[in-house]
Amino acid sequence: MEDVAEKIEIKQKFPGWREMLKPVKKFEEGRLSYLSLPKQVNSDFFKMPFGDVERDFENLKLPENWKEIFLEALKDTLEKNRAFKLFMDICVRCGACADKCHYYIGTGDPKNMPVGRAELIRSVYRRYFTPAGKFLGEWAGARELTEDVLKELYYYAYQCSLCRRCSLFCPYGIDTAEIVWWLRRILSRVGVNQRFMTISIEASSRTGNHLGLLPGGMYGAIQQGLEELKDYTGLDLHTYINKRGADVLFVAPSADFFATPHWYVMLGYLLLFNELEQKYGLTITWSTYASEGGNFGSFHSYEAAQLLNSKIYKEAERLGVSFIIGGECGHMWRDKHQFINTMNLPPKHEEWKRFWENPDLGELAEGLRGVRFDSYASGEHGWIHILEFVAALLEHRKITVDKSRNDKWIATYHDPCNLARGMGLIEEPRYVLRNVMNNFYDMPEHTIKDKTYCCGGGGGMLAEELMDLRMRGAMPRMMAVRHVYRKYGVNILLTPCAIDKAQFPHALEYWKIPIEVGGPMEMVGNALVMTAFGEKPEDRKFDLRGEPLKEEGE
Amino acid sequence: MIGVIFGVIVPYIAVAIFIAGVVYRILSWASSPVPLKIPTTGGQQKSFPFIKRTVYDRFDSPYTWWETAGRMLLEIFLFRSLLKNTRYYLDRVSQKDARWLWLFGILFHYSLLLVLIRHSRFFLEPVPSFVELLSEIEAFKGVFIPSVYMSGLAIVAALFLLWFRRIFLSRERTLSLPSDHFVLILLLAITISGNLMRYFFKADLFAVKELLMSLMALNITHAVEVANTIEPVFYVHFALASFLLAYFPFSKLMHAGGVFFSPTRNMPNDNRARRHVNPWDPADVPILAKGITVAGETYKSKKLDWETYYEMYRGQLEEIEEADYKIAPEEL
Repeated sequence: MEDVAEKIEIKQKFPGWREMLKPVKKFEEGRLSYLSLPKQVNSDFFKMPFGDVERDFENLKLPENWKEIFLEALKDTLEKNRAFKLFMDICVRCGACADKCHYYIGTGDPKNMPVGRAELIRSVYRRYFTPAGKFLGEWAGARELTEDVLKELYYYAYQCSLCRRCSLFCPYGIDTAEIVWWLRRILSRVGVNQRFMTISIEASSRTGNHLGLLPGGMYGAIQQGLEELKDYTGLDLHTYINKRGADVLFVAPSADFFATPHWYVMLGYLLLFNELEQKYGLTITWSTYASEGGNFGSFHSYEAAQLLNSKIYKEAERLGVSFIIGGECGHMWRDKHQFINTMNLPPKHEEWKRFWENPDLGELAEGLRGVRFDSYASGEHGWIHILEFVAALLEHRKITVDKSRNDKWIATYHDPCNLARGMGLIEEPRYVLRNVMNNFYDMPEHTIKDKTYCCGGGGGMLAEELMDLRMRGAMPRMMAVRHVYRKYGVNILLTPCAIDKAQFPHALEYWKIPIEVGGPMEMVGNALVMTAFGEKPEDRKFDLRGEPLKEEGE
Repeated sequence: MIGVIFGVIVPYIAVAIFIAGVVYRILSWASSPVPLKIPTTGGQQKSFPFIKRTVYDRFDSPYTWWETAGRMLLEIFLFRSLLKNTRYYLDRVSQKDARWLWLFGILFHYSLLLVLIRHSRFFLEPVPSFVELLSEIEAFKGVFIPSVYMSGLAIVAALFLLWFRRIFLSRERTLSLPSDHFVLILLLAITISGNLMRYFFKADLFAVKELLMSLMALNITHAVEVANTIEPVFYVHFALASFLLAYFPFSKLMHAGGVFFSPTRNMPNDNRARRHVNPWDPADVPILAKGITVAGETYKSKKLDWETYYEMYRGQLEEIEEADYKIAPEEL
């Protein structure tokens, strides 16, 4: 945490409306994202307009007619997206959203209020697309598009984590995530992209995953997981990769293959898959081609999101699976729940169609009969969240768990923004946690479920150079965690989101809350009794972190 | 002369602008497609039968058409999202409810509704009985003489309260544009002039009704005759109201129509049951792989389909093939 001062001051500023229309000239350290390099945005697999120029923020080296291109792209957006157009017009600036943004709370910068952020582009829209703005200019809240304004748009478009918390409180449902997402798309048309997310987008468009893992690397990572499991459980486990004819394709965010604490969740997946195969004969395969559940394209633009998520249905079709299970990841589920089946044609192959005619797991493995997906999903989509899946297995008593194995943990659960506000997956994880552990406490009501606070690192904000912004943005969430830490002695923060798992260890250290971070599937893995392998509840001696399940002397 | 200008010409123009403007704005919103189904889910999704949803979940994360309609109705009649409002305090974990905005908003909008209903007596002959009844109830008929209409006073109070927010609260002051103040001032001018006319500077209301009826019947000669007989004080109120009508379609007041179009509110959260089709994307091949054209130049990204992928990483993929697509711990 050497990049962030020990003490931070939240300076709230309240300039007048005229001042708000003027572009800022001072860009705070730790809040300005680096611009993309040509190797990220001029790659064969991800080619963005004017991506061939190396830019720095002092000298944007914009194309000559950038203004025309920008306004043309703005017009295109208005014509292509009703939400964007409507949100340009109907805001009444009531201020309900103002203190709902974690970045505003953490920075005090008035342009980080959701309405302030939206006004940045709205003022340009008014100047060029409304009669009042054209004739009255400043008095109608309109302003000219200049290079300074463009810089400001970039600066603030990349201080939003697309968490949609503001949208929840807006009386018209104005969604800043939607405005910012399409604004980033407009910015990309004049060659201005953020480096952090385009590194991952480019890697994913070339190798299939954000980390740039090649098939052998992914194979090796999973193999290492199986070896660790052998050490911890003594069981000989296996799994499949790229296997044609498997029943299910499993897609996880690629961070699960390497990062910590994501790794423990990965071990949890592997235990579950082995138990299901051994006990019921349900085969689940990984894929090196569809090796990324996350989608940084969904932070950048419609087109980039589509480029990255187009592989998965194709792979499902090639492998002939019946449906897809997705792993623990937040924005992945905004993409997989709301975007993927609009951006792509769902699979049409025989196995898929047959399964979804009667989506009962019993059709694939007789012993699992009764677990059905048709109360909310269909073959037009075909994705099930791993925690929904586990919840159903628990409800139907298809797996055996021993809660006491998690007794050293006192857990709280952080709702990832996109699962809560882009999908509505709220009760399933809690259902799972209550069934696999004895000590589970929720944080205060106004900070969880649909009102959950962002971790401060979502939407492409996980970049190293944004550390100041990240630690400030994490503040509201951290205060809520500290509350349950003091009140219940919580010692682990569980979250089914890869970005959260990367952000929280830093944030907890910075805000001095000495607790661990993990994922619900880690707890499932700990508690899962591998009955098909002859394991008894008391047989397990180590948890998935390789530590003794029971403290010495207990 | 004043009567002809403000009693006949101006209202006709204002109404024409109002209708044309509102229709134009609505058509212009409707003409933009909705590329993605993006409801903001404020509650538990429809899931397995054993995952219980409360009635709030059903409206905040609607799955069916009816639930979605319910969400819209709650939003429009109860300002449900504003009702969720909280205020963040830096120095404490708890948040206090801050529903003043909701209260002022509700007060204003429902007063406005009552005022408009009462004004319908000037446009309808005979006056519908519910209008009479409503007016009598809100005036507590018989308590005050002359009767005092509550909505007329409440609307002025609500407007002042809403305006004070923008003046005295620092955040709201920062984000208020001149147009935000202007609308409030305009509405205040209209409502205050209306009240003054009601209680102090009386105008001949029978003449006013005759004027409005003949305007509506397009009986212009008669309208001109009547218009010239009405006291000028009426035209202050009437001209301001006409101006508001003409200003309406070009201002943020269009939120009245816009709220119905908001994709984050009016779409059901049923993405996994029913596919949403994007009208401008056939979704067969990724758009970037087809190429996007900016300033005359086309930028085309290479598509990583399985064949390309296989060619690129053939060696490693063949090793996986040799392992029969199975991963097991390495034998030591």
